[in-house]
Amino acid sequence: MKPLPAALMTAAVGIAAIALENPLWPAAAALSGALLLTAAGPPRRAYAAFALLTGVTVFLLEPFVAVQGLTTLWRGPDIPILDTQITTEELAYGAAAGLRIAAAALAAGAFVRLADSDLLLRAVARVAPRSAMIASLTTQMLPALERDAACVLVAARTRAAAVSRPATAARLVGPLVGMSLERALAVAEAMEARGYAGPARSAAPVRGLSRRERVLTLLGIAALALVVATLATGAAGFRYFDVLDDPWTPAATAGAAGLAALGTAFAWVVRWRP
Amino acid sequence: MAALTFEGVSHRYAAGGRPALEDVTLSVEEGELVLLVGESGSGKSTLLRAALGLVPRFHGGELHGRVRVGGLDTRDHRPGELARHAGLVFQDPEAQVVSSGVLAEAAFGLENLGVDAAEIHPRALAALRMAGADHLAGRATRTLSGGERQRVAIGSVLAMGPRVLLLDEPTSQLDPAAADDLLRTLLDLRTRHGIAVVVAEHRTERLFGVADRVVAMHAGEIVVDAPPDRARLALRGRPWLLPRAPAEPPPPARPEDPAAQLDHASKRLGTTRALHDVSAAFERGAVTAVTGPNGAGKTTLALALCGLMGLDAGMAAHRGRAGYVAQDPGAYLLHDTGLEEVEYGLANLGVPAPGRRARAEAELERFDLGWAAAEHPRDLSSGERQRLAIASVTAMRPDLVVLDEPTRGVDGRRKRAVAEIVRGLAAAGAAVVVVSHDTPFVADAATASVRLESGRIAPQRVPAPEAVHA
Repeated sequence: MKPLPAALMTAAVGIAAIALENPLWPAAAALSGALLLTAAGPPRRAYAAFALLTGVTVFLLEPFVAVQGLTTLWRGPDIPILDTQITTEELAYGAAAGLRIAAAALAAGAFVRLADSDLLLRAVARVAPRSAMIASLTTQMLPALERDAACVLVAARTRAAAVSRPATAARLVGPLVGMSLERALAVAEAMEARGYAGPARSAAPVRGLSRRERVLTLLGIAALALVVATLATGAAGFRYFDVLDDPWTPAATAGAAGLAALGTAFAWVVRWRP
Repeated sequence: MAALTFEGVSHRYAAGGRPALEDVTLSVEEGELVLLVGESGSGKSTLLRAALGLVPRFHGGELHGRVRVGGLDTRDHRPGELARHAGLVFQDPEAQVVSSGVLAEAAFGLENLGVDAAEIHPRALAALRMAGADHLAGRATRTLSGGERQRVAIGSVLAMGPRVLLLDEPTSQLDPAAADDLLRTLLDLRTRHGIAVVVAEHRTERLFGVADRVVAMHAGEIVVDAPPDRARLALRGRPWLLPRAPAEPPPPARPEDPAAQLDHASKRLGTTRALHDVSAAFERGAVTAVTGPNGAGKTTLALALCGLMGLDAGMAAHRGRAGYVAQDPGAYLLHDTGLEEVEYGLANLGVPAPGRRARAEAELERFDLGWAAAEHPRDLSSGERQRLAIASVTAMRPDLVVLDEPTRGVDGRRKRAVAEIVRGLAAAGAAVVVVSHDTPFVADAATASVRLESGRIAPQRVPAPEAVHA
């Protein structure tokens, strides 16, 4: 798929997740992100696992680092640094923060899987025409991580590592990132060797947007417009502390439902086979 | 006229150590084919990178002397500008794929050169044809085998029409037919188009006789620069740099007591049928070579045999523990030192610490890597990484050892040592399977063979011997 429709839709999801306060928005964004990633096709497990892991981690940590909220649910023993008084407001804030992180990660993963990386590289070349390193890191790092993860797992399994154990798998993350960075550097070198950052550029002919991509672009524009309008009008305002607001305001409910519907429609059009 | 010149060039990487290049003076004329030989770490890859200005611009370090390509000084022109005159095919095909589609990959360099849009795809396709990769034009690069990737990498550089073509071990993953095709292409470029070609190779069988000059490097210095007949005499003391005589392939495998086997195994990868109803068995105490053209399904067979890839149909089974070393050794580098890398598998097996260390050290020594015990694995050269990856698996004494292209980047002398180790593993009772296009290595190491073509077991046949021009 051309990068434009994917960029519009995933940007809408990402902005909704990060910038809109009412928890219905990050929830709708997470749902949309998950649907987009599902529609994008494999390999997607690593993105989903990363989103879930970071989201759950943030949700679990938040109540122990925040010292806010009036509705106490549980009070634990005194532990230095940690706040062991857990409030409903802290839990709600933590849940929303977890959803924000997860939705943003899912949207990023969906963009990487949906957008044609060759066209993306071409777009980056317009923005950073002198730096093969920037182009390589922005367009190759995540796909490289994806491929290398499979190779590192094989290499570890053949050396009797129990990669299904979280601790073992976690120890492989450092070498994996190192390997992918090394590969991204090698790709940057190969790009320079093939004339990237040279004095002249042209582009091979590219077909125009297909009918499907035009529909997806319209859906992406609608989603982005909805999110930007909500942001501009302040219709997604919400207070977590000292006591929770009611999230089910008509504007927030309609807006979040609208984003979820547009995300669902986008995913459906991506998967649709005539 | 000289297409490429080095004048008193020395280079030391930023990390320090001995100079990678030491007072190198070399001139390559238009229409000249130069074969560059030398052991791993002798400076061949650095020399090729310096020709395009990637050393020091990309890798840092100090460069003294002057390098000119197409009359341009690499100190005054960026690699992106020099790419108009010189093209470099890197050693590692995995690390130079820029695009997700094969045609886009071949078009990438042309776009960077500002070639007219209408000409880009026809030129890209023509170059892929020259590299024997035009049938791959519609494929995604991630679905290619190692050899197919190498062909695409060569085609992508040829597309740019360089006047100086630099190739770093271009045949290391090519099947014999593809390597012969590449040689024909290089000779054609030299003779008909007057292009200067410099090829760094460990597999010198094809090129030694047809090159105009042979340049041998040792510890960053040029030690021989002569026509092939004189170079052959000068290199008598280093026979591993000389071409090997053609060897008979090992006989077909007919195991009586198989330690590993595939039974009617089928596997589809995307739209490609990687294995189709394959039945094959591998015996304890034998070294079985799996051969066949690029993309024949050899790696899929290797992974399935070790239980590292599921099958769509049929069965794969092996006795005892299996150890697999992939084509790309980079994935095996998970630790901070060479010793820890070899100890890793032993630790996972529960070998106690004192014995573990001694076993790991002995294994490093066996692979001529004792010096690398305290080195960071990612600081090692391609051939050294390959040997370290193999050592990290063989240290565990697996009952089934599967090595996928184990001689990639490994120089002739150490290749013989690897062959010896492989035979030793078999003699100790392991079933050893070697996936390789390196026919001299296969002849040295293997006692039996299985041939795959298009995902099926093919009848054994004696391949055309690699050309040796004595």
